[in-house]
Amino acid sequence: MNPYYELPQDEAGYSFGFLDEYAKREVRRNILKAICIPGYQTPYASREMPMGRGFGTGGLQLTLSLVGWGDTLKVIDQGADDSVNAVNLRHFIELTCPGVDTTEQTREATLIQSRHRIPERQLTNAQVLVLQVPYPDPLVVVEPSEARRKIMHGEGDYSRLLTKLYEDIVRFDEITISHRYPTRINGHYVLDPSPIPRFDIPKLNQSPALILFGAGREKKIYAVPPYTNAEPLAFDDIAFRTEDFTDEQGRRRSCHRCGATDSFLDEFTRDDGVRIYQCSDSDYCNQGIVAHILSAGEAAL
Amino acid sequence: MNTDLNSKALASVWAPAAQQLSFRKLMTAFSFPGRIETMTPEIQNKDFTVLRMILATLTDGEVTVADPHHMIDDHDWSKLETNRETPEKARFIVARGDIAPMFSPGLGSLECPETGATIILRVEHLGRGEPLVLRGPGIQSVKEVACSGLGAAWLCKRQEWNGAFPLGVDMILFDASRVIALPRTTRITTKEGKSWDM
Repeated sequence: MNPYYELPQDEAGYSFGFLDEYAKREVRRNILKAICIPGYQTPYASREMPMGRGFGTGGLQLTLSLVGWGDTLKVIDQGADDSVNAVNLRHFIELTCPGVDTTEQTREATLIQSRHRIPERQLTNAQVLVLQVPYPDPLVVVEPSEARRKIMHGEGDYSRLLTKLYEDIVRFDEITISHRYPTRINGHYVLDPSPIPRFDIPKLNQSPALILFGAGREKKIYAVPPYTNAEPLAFDDIAFRTEDFTDEQGRRRSCHRCGATDSFLDEFTRDDGVRIYQCSDSDYCNQGIVAHILSAGEAAL
Repeated sequence: MNTDLNSKALASVWAPAAQQLSFRKLMTAFSFPGRIETMTPEIQNKDFTVLRMILATLTDGEVTVADPHHMIDDHDWSKLETNRETPEKARFIVARGDIAPMFSPGLGSLECPETGATIILRVEHLGRGEPLVLRGPGIQSVKEVACSGLGAAWLCKRQEWNGAFPLGVDMILFDASRVIALPRTTRITTKEGKSWDM
């Protein structure tokens, strides 16, 4: 985004949060129904946003319908606050929502819009997480007709999805879905939890924070309410497992910046060809470094 | 926060900022069923009532509202710009908790359960009266909430309407200043463990 660009608010009469009040009211009604029917993809009339579909328009419409004076917003993309998508969305919300604070710290935020990660730090029941979703329906890989998928969802019929997982095990000895892992909410609907890694799936289960999902292109809103069961699909004899970060010696790899051994790690190749690992959640990493510096300072005293 | 701007923007239940604040209260109420939320103490001017605030926040010309107990006055109907409908077909139903329901609300369909009605019920007092024991999504283990002025007939009917998930109705209970929400997933019993089977 052009840093000198300003919305012509006075002339054009943009309302707070860019969306008109009718659009917000529709999104809000659907958020409430999505909470009442956990995991159900509630259809809504996704509005045209001043950015391409696929860049988080669904998440953005949720955020703009939720946000108000006194909110503190954090926007992350793949865990980082400083990547292009996060910076642009944050900038847009700062332009269109005067009076809303933004932050990069998870603990300060009341509202978090995220692309592809759930923050490492456990969320509280005073926070709301909004996830941007490209493909909301996990059944799309086994059933092309949406009308039939809706009936399958209503009946809780996921046998074809389980067959797909079984075929993976037969062919590859493990389930090959790395992200968007189908997850059953409150014992009924199976949802696509957006492209979060498997590592984040357990954070959906009994989360103290409300988690909302917005798919702008596919025009769907769905939710995992707080304190709700979220079980990844698995088999009795093949358990669900998250990404493995152990090295050849069987030790858990650590972040090269902060030393954390409990976070989701991104792999980089340094200029000299050496592989290094770093926390994907930039705030968690920075907080780890601050904690190290503080404890080193106390030790020196 | 700029307090001058804030008080001006919250001067009326019809103001967008007031409706945003009110929606967040309702969303918290639905996220944590049985949690008593005080509706927008910031907006305490003469046109404020909890019912008016809820309707202004959630309804417009895209939805239908039923008012079998005549709780919405003519002036509000014109301000809401919404459509009147019978309780059997309406998306939102406003009713009194002390009068037994004499209608069957829409429960949605298997493919589109979101078309099940939202029932907005006036009760006498939240936080006082008969304790209800709630379980389900949004509740860590068990939540107790007292409520007076809610007839047992409503709880019986609610149980019947919500018998086949995902079909069902969602409820907002309100008194003079507060609300609680009961999504269709919330299971309600008495303190002795009795449910409202017909």
